[in-house]
Amino acid sequence: MTRRYAPSVSDTTTTAPPDGASERLELGGGSIHVQRGGEGPPLLFLHAAGGAGAWHPFLGLLARRFEVVAPDHPGFGGSDDMPEVETMDDLVYHYLDVLDRLGLERVHVVGGSLGGWLAAELAVHSPERIERLALLGAAGLRVPGNMATDIFLMTPDQVVTTLFKHPEAAAGMFPPEPDVDFILAAYRDQAGLARYGWAPYLNNPKLERRLHRITAPTLVLWADDDRVVPIEHGRLYAERIPDATLQIVEDCGHAMYFEQTEAFAGAVTEFLLSGSESAT
Amino acid sequence: MKFVFFHLMPYPFLPDDFDEKYASPSLDFPSKHFDPKLGNRLYHRYLDELEYAEKLGFDGIAVNEHHQTAYGLMPSPNIMAAALARRTSRAKVMVLGNAIGIRDHPLRVAEEIAMLDHITDGRIVSGFVRGIGWEYYAHSISPTRSRDRFNEAHDLIVKAWTSDEVFQWVSPNYEFRYVNVWPRPLQVPHPPIYIPGAGSTETMKFCAEHRYTYMSVYAPTPVVKRWFDGYRQAANDIGYEPDPEKLGLSIPVYVAETDELAHAEGRQHIEWLYHKGLKQGLERVMPPGYTSLSSLRGMLSGRGKAPNEYTYEEIIDNGMAVVGSPDSVGERFEALIDELGFGQVIALMGVGDMPHYRTVKSMELFATQVMPALRRRSSEPVPAAVT
Repeated sequence: MTRRYAPSVSDTTTTAPPDGASERLELGGGSIHVQRGGEGPPLLFLHAAGGAGAWHPFLGLLARRFEVVAPDHPGFGGSDDMPEVETMDDLVYHYLDVLDRLGLERVHVVGGSLGGWLAAELAVHSPERIERLALLGAAGLRVPGNMATDIFLMTPDQVVTTLFKHPEAAAGMFPPEPDVDFILAAYRDQAGLARYGWAPYLNNPKLERRLHRITAPTLVLWADDDRVVPIEHGRLYAERIPDATLQIVEDCGHAMYFEQTEAFAGAVTEFLLSGSESAT
Repeated sequence: MKFVFFHLMPYPFLPDDFDEKYASPSLDFPSKHFDPKLGNRLYHRYLDELEYAEKLGFDGIAVNEHHQTAYGLMPSPNIMAAALARRTSRAKVMVLGNAIGIRDHPLRVAEEIAMLDHITDGRIVSGFVRGIGWEYYAHSISPTRSRDRFNEAHDLIVKAWTSDEVFQWVSPNYEFRYVNVWPRPLQVPHPPIYIPGAGSTETMKFCAEHRYTYMSVYAPTPVVKRWFDGYRQAANDIGYEPDPEKLGLSIPVYVAETDELAHAEGRQHIEWLYHKGLKQGLERVMPPGYTSLSSLRGMLSGRGKAPNEYTYEEIIDNGMAVVGSPDSVGERFEALIDELGFGQVIALMGVGDMPHYRTVKSMELFATQVMPALRRRSSEPVPAAVT
């Protein structure tokens, strides 16, 4: 089923959102950067190609009701390269290790774009470890005729105008004259994305036929003007995952929680809480 | 001093709105702009020029590999080398090189080069390149694996040429249970290997350790000097003193009767090469993971410009092309040789949209008036260094 998201009273509170604290987690092949903040049921956040390493306001809003655990993927942000994590299936096993190391038996999982793909793969592999699942503009499916847009070939300007519905509002997120360190950090994150998603391009051809394994109630949340991962991917996720709802956020591009932070945080929070309310 | 006549085989007939409409002649510039009738004549013209270069006394004639581009029409350089093999008899036939980083089957390269070695009676030179960034898009090969694939493919090919026994090959990117390449190459232990470098210290070390010829790509002279010094340093570190011929300067050249005429005629063709042929953003040249962060830092800090950002005057002043009368070109090369210490010129003479008659004139003037003087000069005893 599809429904449109409208803000509710649960979105607004007067207190400042919790901050995240950084820590390092040592694993076999290196160490990763993990941010944690908030209190409540544990929520594993799996970041998109952009935004690793920063405690984004979106995470702060989620941290009002959950203990948010936000690791940087290997090769991104503050995490080591860990070159032995070569492909998406390696990344799934990496996160199973991370959950084990953090003692998290069962969690909510929220993932955006690349992280949404990873969240779906994780849920296919170990459905019993996931309480509720939120896929935000998730890559991962191969949809001939509606393939994800090739962002690698875009100039930096083109990336911004493609990701955002209102690129002018995003101007503040990118320095007009980036310095060498900024360019290198962005290039490294892009190389991380290329490692997992160059070819096949941001998809696993086998994922679609495995989605039936997912047992968690799932929210498939999409921007109405996603020009990177077309809405057809969202419809397919919602169709193939047994207990899934497709929900649309208005006036937004693939940048999702970077562009409509409160709408995305509100929809995800409401969905994750609706489970605990019905259970108690 | 050795002279190589190198061809890119560009497709020069770009549409009038090319500059405004297309980000690059490479990867996604549609092939509807390739006119088969014109293209057909181009192949014969360019092969004629390569054959003529041998007659003029060039030591080598060279081709290379590019895909999905008007920059160069040789997706298979080995086919071009085969076309030249039995039409020539003296010059080295140089493939500079096979893009082994994007090949799924490196053994096919080993086989083809070995065949070419026989057909040329041992005149083949085997260059290996990684392939330009855009070719990783074209082949759906992750640029994050580029360097590993290149290194593994190189090791596999050389072992396949030289091993006496059938062997098994297992490396991260390749697995072959029975490696047994027929024919073995004619040259022993294998054809000479050339590798282009663009500043990576790993490549300099690699070339020095293997005694391979290290070639520059088009860049300003001070940058090429850093690369060549780096190669010599890497050689020095392992106690190896490379012959200057192990260093090849790649450079576009145009010679006409006078300086004025050379610039008046050559300018548009040099500009075509740099402003149209090499029009390509960083996202095409260096897709994510293609370049190490340390190399990228060096490039960004070196304030390098994109090739299409250089004006004609800057191209000439920076030593990114040599244009002039035979005397001027000779003097320019003498200065470049003194500064850079190379023993091999890899001259691009069918530059950009240059018509055949100009290419031929330039080749003839270069071969008859520039090359002999430079050869005499290099064979003279080197004067002792002034201390």
